[in-house]
Amino acid sequence: MMRLPKFRYYSPRTIADAVAIRSDAGPEGAYVAGGTDLYPNMKRRQQTPKVVVGLSRISELSRIGEQNGRLVLGAGLLLSNVENDPRVRAEYPGLAHAVSEISTPPLRNMGTIGGNLLLDTRCNYYDQNYEWRKAIDFCMKTDRQQICWVAPGSPKCLAVQSADTVPVLIAMGARAVLSSGREEREVAVEDLYRNDGIDYLRKRPEELLTEVVLPAANGWRASYRKLRRRGAFDFPVLSVGAAVWREDGKVTSARLVLGGVASAPVRLSAAEAVLAGRPLDKESIEAAAAAAAGPSRPMDNTDFSFLWRKEMTAKFVRSALADLV
Amino acid sequence: MGATEKSRAVGRNVPRKEGLDKVTGAAKYVDDLTFPGMLHGRTIRSTIAAGEIENIHLGFARKGFTIADCRDVPGRNVVALIELDQPCLAERRVRHFAEPILLLAHEDRERLLEAESLVAIDYREETPIYDPEKSDHCFKEIRIEKGDLARGFAEADVVVEGEYRVGLQEQLYIEPNGVIAVPENGGITVYGSLQCPYYVHRALRVLLGLSDDKVRVVQTETGGGFGGKEEYPSMIAGHAAILAWKSRRPVKLVYDRVEDMVATTKRHPGVIRHSTGVTRDGTLTAIKIDVLLDGGAYMTLSPVVLSRGVIHATGPYRCDHVRIQGRVVATNTPPNGAFRGFGAPQTQFAAEVHMERIAETLGIDSVRLREKNAFRPGDTTSTGQKLGRDTSALRVLREAVSRSDFRAKRRAYRGTNRGIGLALFFHGSGFTGGGEVKLASKASLELTETGARILVASTEIGQGTRTMHAQIVADTLGIPYDAVEVAAADTARVPDSGPTVASRTCMVVGKILERCAQEMRRELGGRSAQDYLAERGSLVVTKEYSGPDGLYWDDETYRGDAYGAFGWGCDVIEVERDPETWQIRPTRVTAVCEIGKAIHPVLARGQIEGGTAQAVGYALLEEVAMRDGRMANAQLTNYLVPTTLDTPEIDVTILENPYEHGPFGAKGVGEMPIDGPAPAIVNAIRSLGVDVRSIPATPERILEAPSLSASR
Ligand SMILES: Cc1cc2nc3c(=O)[nH]c(=O)nc-3n(C[C@H](O)[C@H](O)[C@H](O)COP(=O)(O)OP(=O)(O)OC[C@H]3O[C@@H](n4cnc5c(N)ncnc54)[C@H](O)[C@@H]3O)c2cc1C
Ligand code: SF4
Repeated sequence: MMRLPKFRYYSPRTIADAVAIRSDAGPEGAYVAGGTDLYPNMKRRQQTPKVVVGLSRISELSRIGEQNGRLVLGAGLLLSNVENDPRVRAEYPGLAHAVSEISTPPLRNMGTIGGNLLLDTRCNYYDQNYEWRKAIDFCMKTDRQQICWVAPGSPKCLAVQSADTVPVLIAMGARAVLSSGREEREVAVEDLYRNDGIDYLRKRPEELLTEVVLPAANGWRASYRKLRRRGAFDFPVLSVGAAVWREDGKVTSARLVLGGVASAPVRLSAAEAVLAGRPLDKESIEAAAAAAAGPSRPMDNTDFSFLWRKEMTAKFVRSALADLV
Repeated sequence: MGATEKSRAVGRNVPRKEGLDKVTGAAKYVDDLTFPGMLHGRTIRSTIAAGEIENIHLGFARKGFTIADCRDVPGRNVVALIELDQPCLAERRVRHFAEPILLLAHEDRERLLEAESLVAIDYREETPIYDPEKSDHCFKEIRIEKGDLARGFAEADVVVEGEYRVGLQEQLYIEPNGVIAVPENGGITVYGSLQCPYYVHRALRVLLGLSDDKVRVVQTETGGGFGGKEEYPSMIAGHAAILAWKSRRPVKLVYDRVEDMVATTKRHPGVIRHSTGVTRDGTLTAIKIDVLLDGGAYMTLSPVVLSRGVIHATGPYRCDHVRIQGRVVATNTPPNGAFRGFGAPQTQFAAEVHMERIAETLGIDSVRLREKNAFRPGDTTSTGQKLGRDTSALRVLREAVSRSDFRAKRRAYRGTNRGIGLALFFHGSGFTGGGEVKLASKASLELTETGARILVASTEIGQGTRTMHAQIVADTLGIPYDAVEVAAADTARVPDSGPTVASRTCMVVGKILERCAQEMRRELGGRSAQDYLAERGSLVVTKEYSGPDGLYWDDETYRGDAYGAFGWGCDVIEVERDPETWQIRPTRVTAVCEIGKAIHPVLARGQIEGGTAQAVGYALLEEVAMRDGRMANAQLTNYLVPTTLDTPEIDVTILENPYEHGPFGAKGVGEMPIDGPAPAIVNAIRSLGVDVRSIPATPERILEAPSLSASR
């Protein structure tokens, strides 16, 4: 059976302790929240931390509350808590919907919103057990000396950004709070990611994600669309987060974000620009959808053929925007 | 004794014999068991698809390890089944990826994994063959000939041709393959998750060179099989036994999901070509079918899968002039094998999509076309079998059409994103041809102080064997259901009742048990069990299969009575197409099955619902991605089976048309439900105007498929 490798487990009660233990462990350490991403990865020997810092006993991480009109979600909140929170449902239905599309109810009762933001990138050649990967001599994401099987000439890994909440959070302009013990910084969620399948986060390893901050919910609406083969379980292999700000019936600004097509979320700036200054109607939506197809360049490393995913991009942008009319 | 109407068990939904243990977690599966001094085993497998082994390097310290290769096999190095072509451990030649080469055992699982990563094998690679059309090795060829094909085509107004393709499918039982081999009494005992204890028994005797009484096989509670634990357990049991034999210690070998999917058998993929002569008014005059199945690297059960496949290849339709040619060939992929339906889902998929295309070509109503040609009592099948009174093709068809409101919906859905399709099918119960006579299965019934104990090798693998057998025995003896016990399927205790496959456990083994119970009742002559036992000490009645008189089969010409009885089924499936992604979602299934008699209606319904769900996966989702002969998606995250959200509402209707030689009239129900949904779904997609002829019908495939008007 696939079993966890041996590791030392800590369950600190404060953010400061967690960061301290994690810092001491250096490259041998990892945080774990719900463990629904980390533990399967460890069973497959993709990650083999010797020191695992559990976050579930840090009560501060599971708070939810208002702050200057913004809604602050503790990173340790269970996905099911986020999904069912009355304020999230009423004021941020796009996010509630994105969360409800994650995997299955049992997974949402284990996984956290913070873990979702920091979810490892995925690839058909990588999300395999040890023996399988060994049989193909591994790939760059396991061993930097090796090639990438998806694009043998590629200097970098092309594993795919696959977290459901990220595109819609970026579209909404959500922010993330990172703590390194004494210091704290707040960054746009968008700035957390780097388009590199291995080094996919712009955050120091010991930095703890403590909060996800949602902007005040007026003047805009957001939506989310996800492509997957089944009604549950499956990761997105193409997704669209959309948010539109309107005044007097005209779009003042829009954000469109693709997930599942690159190692980082992809902003569709051209499509966004198309919408500005126009009413959100059939025509403007068509124009935005047409502008969306170009920047969608999925690789052949997830479910569904990559041509299919590319083909679906415009349609998904169209329906995400139609949800906001 | 004497049954009152109220105490009768047959036809009632009595509690499952092992139900309480399963829901409370008390049931012990093989991985729950442990033995003193037990080692864990691990199988080192080939990483190429074809070639020769040149060198094996063990880069770890051997202390504490038991290491075995083909030279450690005490008897013959084969997995004894139909043909002795498959080595239990590869010698020089490797014929498929994941072929077992070396076995390791150690007390500590972690050490085992470390050691495994330090084994290196050098090969001289050869060019593998993956395309069955290019194979030069045929495992089995079957030809069925009825009437005069040329005459049949001469009588036709139109000839409709078509090629249909079906993919691999994984059984995906919830509990992976696993066994424990224990050396004892100068022999070996194997405990395991398996369907056919006596298959494993024979394989171990040959492998270890032991006599009958030195090998014992005990089935542990088994989490599903679907055919995947029909032949493969002989392999894994062999491996554990070799390690146990060498180390003189118990050895546990349990696969994880990946190993199970990569290494064990799957449903045969195939290409099926039809050429049908038909008159303008829709009468079939000639049927010519060519079936090609990919058997993988070794024969396993391929000839019998082919046999059932070709016999069912016409679908349940009458035609005087038929030629069916079937071949199953070798390729360099892991061997394909038994899977619920056993060839019939493949060929009936083709038959029923083809039937739809005939209707499309003639421009006639496809229900009418089916009605016109469906088997009636007295008709003969392609092998010349004369069908009996229990032939219900028309009945299930009419019931499904009216229950589902098929015609009105078909009209209403035209031009929308909704579609509706239908498939009519049949399925022979029991072994094909002379199989049951050859098997000569036995069953025993033992009188106990409180009732009776069933002794059969038929296994409970989730389908309800113990419960259903106990119901038959209880009513025949006229005692309460609770007074009937079922002994574990342990070759040291139970006779060889044949394998638990082929929809034969109720109809065939159940019938033998019924006869045991009848004799026991006569023998008791009204005395109570206690009185009888006090007087005579014990009573065990054993009976052997005896077929109905007049059954005839000729294996040379493939003529005669292929099966004792057929079950009949009709599925109507409604689908919805996502206008953007072209994903097809089945929304409602109307399943009508005629199974002779539902001994336990809830269990029978469960078989129909489960088979339907499994077939929805076969039709729409399940795709084994083979890359260089290895399964690239051997995990539950990427081998996608339907979740509850992908499983439509299933409206099940069970019809009963008793088969005179079945227990209480029962025929088989286990396999049949998987025959119909795939063609019904594809026909529903066709009603949307898309010319799909292969499965899984993924959106990518649907987009590539021509539109119907263009291809007609
Ligand atoms: C079968 C299956 C299906 C899935 N389907 C989906 C899906 O459809 N969509 C989807 O988005 N996800 C899916 N997931 C992935 C996962 O369940 C979710 O992304 C979940 O939100 C991860 O949260 P977690 O708390 O379990 O993360 P963990 O596994 O605990 O952590 C994930 C990563 O984030 C780090 N981490 C966690 N919390 C913090 C923190 N506060 N600060 C710093 N680092 C942190 C961990 O070190 C780890 O690297 C699926 C997983 C499985 C097993
Ligand atoms: S994209 Fe390439 S390097 Fe990255 S995980 Fe996939 S195969 Fe490996």
